[in-house]
Amino acid sequence: MPAEKLRYKRTGLIARRSIVLGSLTAIAALAFPAVLRAQADTFRFGLTPVFLSNDLELLRNLQLYLSARLNAPVELVTRRTYQEITALLVSGQIHSAWICGYPFVQFRSALDLVATPIWRGKPLYQSYIIAEHDRKVDDWKQLRGDIHAYSDPDSNSGYLVTQALLTENGLGKGNFFSRYFFTYGHRNVIRAVARGLAQSGSVDGYVWEVMRQLEPELVNQTKIVRRSEWLGFPPIASPKLLASDARIAKLRAALVDMKTDEQGRMILSMLKLDGFAVEDEALFDKIAAKMAIVRAAT
Amino acid sequence: MTTWLHRVTSSRVALRVPLLVALLMIIISAVISDQVLRRLSEMQERNLQGLVESYLDGVSASILPSIMRGDVWEVFDVLDRSASSYASLDLKETIVTGSDGSVIASNHPANRPSFSQLPQEFLDQFRSRMVEVNQKTMEGFVRRDLLYQGQKVGTIFTILDVSHLMGERRNVLVTLLITNGVLAGLFAAGGFWLVSYMIRPIRTLENHMRNSSGGMISLIDNSEIPKGDPEVSRLFHRFNELVKSEHEQRDFARRLAEEEKLASLGRLSSSMAHEINNPLGGLFNAIDTLKTHGSKPGVRETSLVLIERGLIGIRDVVKAMLATYKYERSQTRLSRDDLNDIQILALPELRRKQQELVWEVDFDGTFSVPAGPIRQAALNLMLNAIAATPEKGCVSFGATSNSESLKIEVTDEGAGISDALSPMLTNLDLRNQMNPGQGLGLWVIRQILIELGGSATIERLSTGTRICLVFHQQGTVAHANAA
Repeated sequence: MPAEKLRYKRTGLIARRSIVLGSLTAIAALAFPAVLRAQADTFRFGLTPVFLSNDLELLRNLQLYLSARLNAPVELVTRRTYQEITALLVSGQIHSAWICGYPFVQFRSALDLVATPIWRGKPLYQSYIIAEHDRKVDDWKQLRGDIHAYSDPDSNSGYLVTQALLTENGLGKGNFFSRYFFTYGHRNVIRAVARGLAQSGSVDGYVWEVMRQLEPELVNQTKIVRRSEWLGFPPIASPKLLASDARIAKLRAALVDMKTDEQGRMILSMLKLDGFAVEDEALFDKIAAKMAIVRAAT
Repeated sequence: MTTWLHRVTSSRVALRVPLLVALLMIIISAVISDQVLRRLSEMQERNLQGLVESYLDGVSASILPSIMRGDVWEVFDVLDRSASSYASLDLKETIVTGSDGSVIASNHPANRPSFSQLPQEFLDQFRSRMVEVNQKTMEGFVRRDLLYQGQKVGTIFTILDVSHLMGERRNVLVTLLITNGVLAGLFAAGGFWLVSYMIRPIRTLENHMRNSSGGMISLIDNSEIPKGDPEVSRLFHRFNELVKSEHEQRDFARRLAEEEKLASLGRLSSSMAHEINNPLGGLFNAIDTLKTHGSKPGVRETSLVLIERGLIGIRDVVKAMLATYKYERSQTRLSRDDLNDIQILALPELRRKQQELVWEVDFDGTFSVPAGPIRQAALNLMLNAIAATPEKGCVSFGATSNSESLKIEVTDEGAGISDALSPMLTNLDLRNQMNPGQGLGLWVIRQILIELGGSATIERLSTGTRICLVFHQQGTVAHANAA
């Protein structure tokens, strides 16, 4: 079976995903009381690959910190794709999750904003288009014909921003890049470009900058071709279904107070973040606008 | 090769045996090395195949779902991570293609980009599931088709770096060569020592035998006979018995020669007395005639002629006598006079058998060989020829010389020398047994030939036999006038 036939087609992609997730939400709503009763004691917190989820020490510290602050056992739930975590979140199978801005705006009606990370003093980040470090390229338009690595079809920085850019420039018909594939992780996008599997990639600017400090030998094999405008940082969200759950409020407080707690500061130091803050949902309007641009084109 | 082999096989035993041992060791080590390398090669390939199978099993299980989805990243990630897990395999490159043959991912994507097609010459290197080793590039090639529900959904191509295996084989070969070389050397040295030790008694025998060829044959001293080796002891005692027997035979021959000489002297004295007696009768008759009729000039003249002839005959006989006993000249250089003596010495026998002598001596000056032995040998030949030639027959004597050699030829009209006795002259290496009273003259000639390094040939002619003696110049012979 040809590889390209197996890939997602952008046509109808977002709409189909919304239907699936919507259905899951409906099913979850029906089953909700049973689900929550079965898992009454454990607070389930979801993580997407936007987060540096491969650091086991960080995960252990985060779990301990949240358990202590929520005064309840906390289970960290990780999945390979954004879609899986979003489905769990929207369906109420997990109590909260650190998701991307793109799923948040897609399911804004079903989700509450818990807190937003503060990076370099702002709740904002950028999307980068990167290429191999030694490649002579000044402008992203010179990347035409590349094999391009996206992070995730539900990632804002790793997919939506680049799709919106192409659409805005009249290149959104799928013929700008010769081929593309998804790596389901921003770190993987950097690896794919560094190893030459892809000639260019769309990656979370925050992940790229943090990884440059943690794994300079890998990241320095790539270079930034284009930085996007500042966009709302991937937030922590919870399903509206659980708005009355007191632990959501405790979670918000735990995140906001992280910078004042010793263990919390250690977690923030590992994440290279300044802290968490409660922000207005309007922070994600730009992402919503990009989603609208892409949807309009399809 | 055959010349070299011939040299080895014809060399000394002490050298030949160690060399053959070393050669045998080299052949054995070559066979062993070949077997070891063959087994090593088979083991390496078996181990390599096992490792590769294990690697491909792991990779196949991991990537099969990803191949079904055409998931470039997942396939690459598996290949990338498994490369470090199978570091012992020395993977050079692994490429995964989909059912359409296009590359899904390679662990070296810069060489084989995703979505590209593999060239046919590249695919031709992967013939089977078994590892195909290219000795030139030191690479191993193996492929594995990925099946799902009986359908081929993709293929894994793996290139291995097998240089370390080749290096291992090379190291083993070098180790074998060095070890076997050292062993062959040690065996050769040990063999040399052992054989030298074993043939030491043979060498003692050889030394004594070598001395014997120069007339210095001697007994092996009792101190040289090993006490603890009965076989060698027995051999040495046998040799001593032979030497004693040889000594006795020589003494016997010498005594026989002396007796023969005395007998010859007797015969010569008898002939001489006869030769002198004949003219003496005539002389006395002539003196009586002179006494009676000396006044008659005719009678006186005739008587004086008879007396002179008789005295000449007596003088010749005396001259021959002198020639026979020229011992003082026996070690001087040969001159023409020495050969002329032979004519004088043989004359009585020639006369007795009324034979004609053809004398062809083309030889002036001197030749650097001892005169006595040459004259003795030539005289013996002449006497032998006269004896072999019937009465009133003809005997020829010839002598020629050049700067290097002297050639003496004696031709008779009879059998000359029997076939049984011929080897006594023509084969000087042969240890001829001399029968008492038979061929003594020839035995003397043979001894002279051996002593002076001469040679003899016998030629059968239609009218008789020609015997030819050849002697070479010798530097240590004194001049006649210096004696």
